[in-house]
Amino acid sequence: MSTQPAAHYDRVHEAWTLIMGEEFHYGYFADPATPLDEATAALTSEMLELAGIGEGDRVLDIGCGTGRQSCDLAEQLGARVLGITTSASGVAAASALARSRGVEARFEQRDGTANGLPDGAFDVVWALESSHLMRDRAGLLSESARVLAPEGRLVLCDIIRKREIPFLEVRDRRDDFAVLRAAFGDAHMEPLSVYASLLEELGMTVVEATDISVPTLPTFAAWRANVTAHSATLLGLLGEQGVADFVRSTHVLEEFWSDGTLGYGILAAVKSPL
Amino acid sequence: MTSPDQTLAVITTFLGRADKSAADLSSATGLYGDGLELDSLEAAELSAMLEDEFGTDPFSSGDELPQTVGDILAFYEVPATA
Ligand SMILES: C[S@@+](CC[C@H](N)C(=O)[O-])C[C@H]1O[C@@H](n2cnc3c(N)ncnc32)[C@H](O)[C@@H]1O
Repeated sequence: MSTQPAAHYDRVHEAWTLIMGEEFHYGYFADPATPLDEATAALTSEMLELAGIGEGDRVLDIGCGTGRQSCDLAEQLGARVLGITTSASGVAAASALARSRGVEARFEQRDGTANGLPDGAFDVVWALESSHLMRDRAGLLSESARVLAPEGRLVLCDIIRKREIPFLEVRDRRDDFAVLRAAFGDAHMEPLSVYASLLEELGMTVVEATDISVPTLPTFAAWRANVTAHSATLLGLLGEQGVADFVRSTHVLEEFWSDGTLGYGILAAVKSPL
Repeated sequence: MTSPDQTLAVITTFLGRADKSAADLSSATGLYGDGLELDSLEAAELSAMLEDEFGTDPFSSGDELPQTVGDILAFYEVPATA
């Protein structure tokens, strides 16, 4: 039945809400004891500070998830927001959220690496934790630069790779990597420096590129605490294996954060004036 | 010595698991970039499957990494004994 993917999506969505809270991304912890919802909001605040979004600004939210941030940007800042995602159920959920909140944000199913939107149509391009799902990073960044108006800003944060991982190490640790893929999808991490040099090649000026691995590290412990707190419900939603894989993935990530393999970065770049 | 068909069968099984199309597979098909677009984890998984099946694999043999399907076939086609 065609409702099956949507049902699966709903289950995963409900599980992730229990584990991660209302915002499906990492937290920025001023202190490891900060509650997770404050920390996820703080990461969004870091992005907001760099984005400098004003009333009436045209914002493109690439990888808009379920539309929470697009709606917030429209409602709280008066921005005109278009949220895009490759997920049809994401578009449906985000549109429903905007309707239920009475917010004027639009959502369309589009690929961030070939968005088909007109040149120069946005003041801000916003990509919160979505770029790692786009293998064609150069495509994502060149499309972002193309749709920005002169002096427009790109703000982005995401998981980053902090060193080369030699083939034989990937092979040895393939079970760990496979656990990450099962939990988070087909992710491809790049160093902050790769983003920065691709953007400079596109003629953009990188005004911020900061490693925030340390303040994002407590995210994993916070997710695990929520798994424990909601274990009965989560077992029903994800099954025993699903829960075990998720918990294992948080340990793998924590290890990668601690040994300097992976981490988290935030970056802003400005398109030159005409 | 392993026949090209046996090797191709492993590659095809791997592609099925990785959700990639095995249509148009030929010796000239590249493994990365424009070809099968394997990333390092997928290459590692294929490498492990080949080793499980045949005891050795061209990705961890210490030489250059294979670049095409043909490179993998050729690795196994070399007669084991002279
Ligand atoms: C981890 S979620 C982040 C959601 C949201 N930004 C947030 O922080 O809550 C990643 C999002 O990227 C979307 N995505 C993945 N690949 C994409 C692509 N090629 N183009 C546009 N969106 C994509 C996914 O559908 C999902 O909505």
